[in-house]
Parts: sequence; structure tokens; C-alpha cells
Amino acid sequence: MIIKKPSIFIYANEPDAAVVKEICAGIEEEGVFFELNEMENTNLKELAWNAANDSMLGSGIGIRGTYIAMQMRGIEKNRPVESYQNPDKEQCRKLGANSARAIKKLPFK
Amino acid sequence: MSYIAGIDIGNSTTEVCVGEAAADGSIHFLTSASCPTTGTKGTVSNTHGVKAALKQAMSKIGRDVEDISLIRLNEAAPVIGDTAMETLTETIITDSSMIGHNPSTPAGAGQAVGEILLIENISRGVPGIPYIVAAPASYSYEEIAAILNQSGDSLDITGVILQADEAVLVKNRLHKKVPIIDEVARIDKLPGGVPAAIEVALPGQTIRMLSNPYGIATLLDLNAEETRTVTPIAKSLIGKRSAVVLKTPGGNVRENVLPAGEIYLDAEHSASVNLDEGAEKIMQVVSDAGIIRDITGQPETNVGNMFARIKKGMSELDGTANGDIHITDILAVDTLAPVLISGALAGETCLEKAVGIAAMVKTQKLPMRQIAEKLRLELDTDVKVAGVEAVMASLGALTTPGTKLPLAILDMGGGSTDAAVISEEGKVVITHQAGAGELVSMLIETELGLGDRHIAEQIKKYPLAKVESLFHVRVENGQMTFIDESIDPRFYGRVVLLSEEGFIRIEKDIPMEKIAQVRRDAKRKVFVTNAFRALQKVAPDQDLKNISNVVLVGGSAEDFEIPEMLMEEFSNYRIVCGRGNIRGQEGPRNAVATGLVLSYVGEKQ
Repeated sequence: MIIKKPSIFIYANEPDAAVVKEICAGIEEEGVFFELNEMENTNLKELAWNAANDSMLGSGIGIRGTYIAMQMRGIEKNRPVESYQNPDKEQCRKLGANSARAIKKLPFK
Repeated sequence: MSYIAGIDIGNSTTEVCVGEAAADGSIHFLTSASCPTTGTKGTVSNTHGVKAALKQAMSKIGRDVEDISLIRLNEAAPVIGDTAMETLTETIITDSSMIGHNPSTPAGAGQAVGEILLIENISRGVPGIPYIVAAPASYSYEEIAAILNQSGDSLDITGVILQADEAVLVKNRLHKKVPIIDEVARIDKLPGGVPAAIEVALPGQTIRMLSNPYGIATLLDLNAEETRTVTPIAKSLIGKRSAVVLKTPGGNVRENVLPAGEIYLDAEHSASVNLDEGAEKIMQVVSDAGIIRDITGQPETNVGNMFARIKKGMSELDGTANGDIHITDILAVDTLAPVLISGALAGETCLEKAVGIAAMVKTQKLPMRQIAEKLRLELDTDVKVAGVEAVMASLGALTTPGTKLPLAILDMGGGSTDAAVISEEGKVVITHQAGAGELVSMLIETELGLGDRHIAEQIKKYPLAKVESLFHVRVENGQMTFIDESIDPRFYGRVVLLSEEGFIRIEKDIPMEKIAQVRRDAKRKVFVTNAFRALQKVAPDQDLKNISNVVLVGGSAEDFEIPEMLMEEFSNYRIVCGRGNIRGQEGPRNAVATGLVLSYVGEKQ
């Protein structure tokens, strides 16, 4: 049996360090685990969509440089739940928190 | 053959009914329509709505408005309703003595006692004294954790208060775990050097020590006298997930009773009553007073201002002088309104006692003739103002299958609740009572603290549901509904209203059960009270037992739960009560318009 922690997946391609840090902080404050993986894929929407589908919790985040997107399992690939281009600190934190709130079934911030 | 149109201009909608009069005097109903009323009921601007409704109705049968040979307008009841709300108590926190709120993610659990130490002064901390550290949002979670870890060896830090939403982030980085409270907006108001106690509840629980006066006494080492003074603080912290109590000399939580003032009734048996005595007492005095000529409030008090405001609003709308406007009925309802506590540090609110009042104003006869004249000119047809509204409504209600004389109708609109009883001989007794749909909306708005009348009206109209996943919602009655296409993530986890056009999101974070409860209570308080009041006035010998059938008509009779509430209440009096179904097809609407067409036959004979 493979035992894995149920986590939010973050698939990133050449991610901006500051962006990653704030997104992770957003998830951490909500008390959910996450896993960060570097990917070859450069398509932001695919990164997010794949992350959501691979995550046991059905919630994933894609990062490409300073572009970010949040996805949930069951949603069309081309319609990420939330996405930003060159987000500020607050937006990163919010996107991270929302990916966790999606699992906790809480309304988004 | 001639087309006859009956038009009912109401507070919120204009209803049209078109019938064909045969040579033998029988009426054949053809079509009907309803449009929003344009302008205030009884003013010439109503003609736009009338024309729109006529056009809509005639186009349904492929005819033009010109084909109508006679228009019959209602003699609208000269009553207009208005509502007002006044709080009777206010809560004030003095000397920033406490913080009690529900941050979504506090960290740690348990209580801690210590002196408040601002993080910028941490170097001045003295070893051996327990401290609760307060940090503003200008410090990042990493900085705070680093500072606390560094000082943790020399200083005794027992708890942390944060301004930003970062309690878990800080806790995860601390070597020594302590309770942490976050999202305290006015952290700059926290006085340094004051003994304080903080508490974070265990998951799924609410705080236990700080919501108990002896708990506060234990933590802050209070004597019996001081314990007595902190009781209001403890009371106001009941049900919170986190709290801070400060031991400041002048610190307290006080409930002020505002001078509410007296209501004066100029009536058959003139009387006065204090607003403090509550809605039940006020309504008793109103019903004992008999026929009311005017109602006023004690000048320079809340209630005085409230009545002055209603009269001023009415005179602006009506064009009559302020002195000529008389309030002839009121409906008072007790309510609770969440009000921001003055002196609060984290946006805490407290439920304050309030009273909502719907007032009904008798105006001079509404200028229906002017509307008739304008319609005559613009449409080039015969226009007649015919019949009293309640009589017409009764006539229309009688077209409901299964009704017979004697019959009582209850017309529940937006501004007023009207009742009429028609005896077997065709004698009609009518009454108008203050308070209807609009008062319900106001109660919903205040009790939920929405600050938005529009959404309150929608809450009144539509059932609630919670979006539990992207593919299903749970309706308020517990039923689950699955949806093929994924729900817009904006609705995720939210409480929504199920309207015809889809979901309407409720922005405020209020549990679905609470909203449903407030909505039902508001409807019950207004409509059940008013239904009894109105029917008692028109019932033969003022005894409800003399009424056997009640037909509910008007906009509020269309509501998804009000008719059932009334049915339940009336079944105790063995009264058959139900939503009208005008002409067997219109539902509770269109009663007056239908009555107007029907009355044409009677007049001809």
C-alpha cells in the first residue's frame, strides 16, 4: 500500500520564488498540506488542470513564471477557477487560501 | 361584442384583465397581464405602466390596444404604507476592555495570562514576567516568529495577538506553542503594559473561561467586587471562538437603554404607550383605542423622530402639507439588530433590541380621475373609475373555484394588509391595516444586518440552498439537487437563493439555517398578526368564529410559505383558508382587475 499525505498539488514551470512563497503561505494558514513539483509543461492552464486532477483532494495550482491559476477537479481545462497575471502579494495569498478553502468547502475569499 | 379592460394599479404591480361582453350580458375572459407600477400608486406617471400592461395583454390574443372599447380603473384605497426601525439599546466597550470575535483560523488552543507587550518594545521585556505579545500587520509572519523564538529563551511569552490573518503561519514557526489570536483590526488601540487574558477555543467548541465571570476572575485574579463588574464582558463573549479580556481600571462593557419615547394615539379612546414596553403592549393599546385619528411620537425622542420621518416622506410623495397627513394605524414588531459595538477592536457586533414599525397613512383621495383623463386622451377610449378596491377584490376572489358567499378575503400587498367580508346579501365590510411585505423585507434586512433592501427582498421571495460541491446544492429542506454543468465557482461553499433566473449569491457569511429562521419569523410576525387583526375587525360581531372561508389574494399570497403559515393558524378556528385562484387560472393575482370587468355586468343590469 502506498501511503501519501492528501495534499494540494502545485505544478510549476520556472516559478517566481516570491509568488511560490506567498501561495504556500496562503495554503498553510488554512492548515492544508501541499506538494510543489517542477514541470516541463509551459501551458499554465494545463499545469493547473493536471495538478487538480492528480491531487487526491482535487485541488491544484499552476504556476508559470509570475502567472498563476487555481483549478478544481471537474472543471473544464480552459476555465480555471481563479487566475492572475503578475499578481501582488495579497492575490497570491488569496489564491493559495482559496485552493485550501475549496477542499474545506468554505466560500472563497 | 366589445372588449372591456379592468385595470388595478397597486403599490408594486399594475394588473390588467380583458374580457368580452356578449349581448346577453355574460362575460367571457380573454387575457390578462401584469407590469411593474410606474411611479407612486395614484399619480399620473402610472399611465406608462398601464399602457405597457394593456399592450402585453392584447398582444397575447393578437389584438391592438385600440380594440378596447372600455377601460375600468380601480378606485385605489387612499392608504400608503411606510416602515421605520429604531434601536432601543446600544452596547459600548470602554477603555478597550475586550476583544471577542470569530477569526476563521486562530492557532493553538487554551488560555494564557500576561501583560500586553507590543512587539516593537520586546527588547524592553523583563525576564520572569509573563507577556502576551501584540504584533501589527507591518511585521511579516517570519519576522514575528523569528523575534518570538529569539526572545523566547529569555522572556516568558504566553500568547500572541496578531493584526493580520497569519496565526497558523506564526504558530508553525514557533518553537514553543502558545495560543494565537489573529484578525484583530484595531490592534493599535491595545494599551501596552496592561494585564490581559486570552483564550482560543478547541476545534468545534467555543471559549469557556473568558465567557464565565469566575473564569475571568481566576485568570486575572479579581476580587468579588471586580468580578461583578466583568459579568457583562463575560456575557458578551458567550459563543465566541477566541477572546481577549484586558484588566483596565475603567474598562467595561455597558448596555445603554436609549430614551425611546412615548407614542400618542389620538383616537376614540386616546391613549399613550412607551416604546420600551415592547410590540405586544403597543399593539394591545392600538387595538383598545378604537378608531384612530392620528398617531404621533414624543418630540425629540427616537419614536418622535421616527413618526416625523414617515410623515415627512409621505408629504413629499403626496404633495400635501405635513400637518394634513394622519397615521391611522401602526403595526409594531419586536426585533434584534446586529449593531457594531462602539469601541470594538475587531469589528464585533452585538444584537441590540429594536422595534420595527409599519405605519399607514390616510391621504386625500388619490387623483385617479386625472389618470383616467390622461388615459382617455392618449388611448382614445372610454375610461371609467369604478368601484372600491376591496369590493372589486372580493368580486374577483369569488371567481376562485369552490368559493361561495359569505366570504372573507385577505388582500396581502406590499404596503398594507386589507380584509373584506361579503355577506350573503352582498354587504361588504372592509379594513386596511398597516404592515405587509415591505415590513417583512425591513425585518429581514435589519435582523441579518444586510444593509441592503434589495437582497432582503430576494431572501423573502426565494428558498435558500447551500452550494456543497461544484455539482450539487443542498436546499433548505434538506433535499439535494444535482446539476449537470459545473456550478460557477463564485457560488462555491456559499448560501444562495434559488430564483427563476438561477442562483443569487448572499454576500454576507450567515448560516443558511439562521437566514431561514429570520425569514420565517419575520413573515409570521407580520402576516399572522395582521391577518388576525384585520379579520377580527371585519368579522360579524368581531368574532373570528363567524368567518368560515378566507381567500388569500394579492402579491404576498403568492409567497412560497405565507399561505401555509396562515392556513395552519386558521385551522385552529375551523376556517377554510387558502390561496385564491382567480378565474381558476390566475392564482392569487388579478383579483381586482377581474372584479372590475365583472362589475361592468352588474352596472349594466
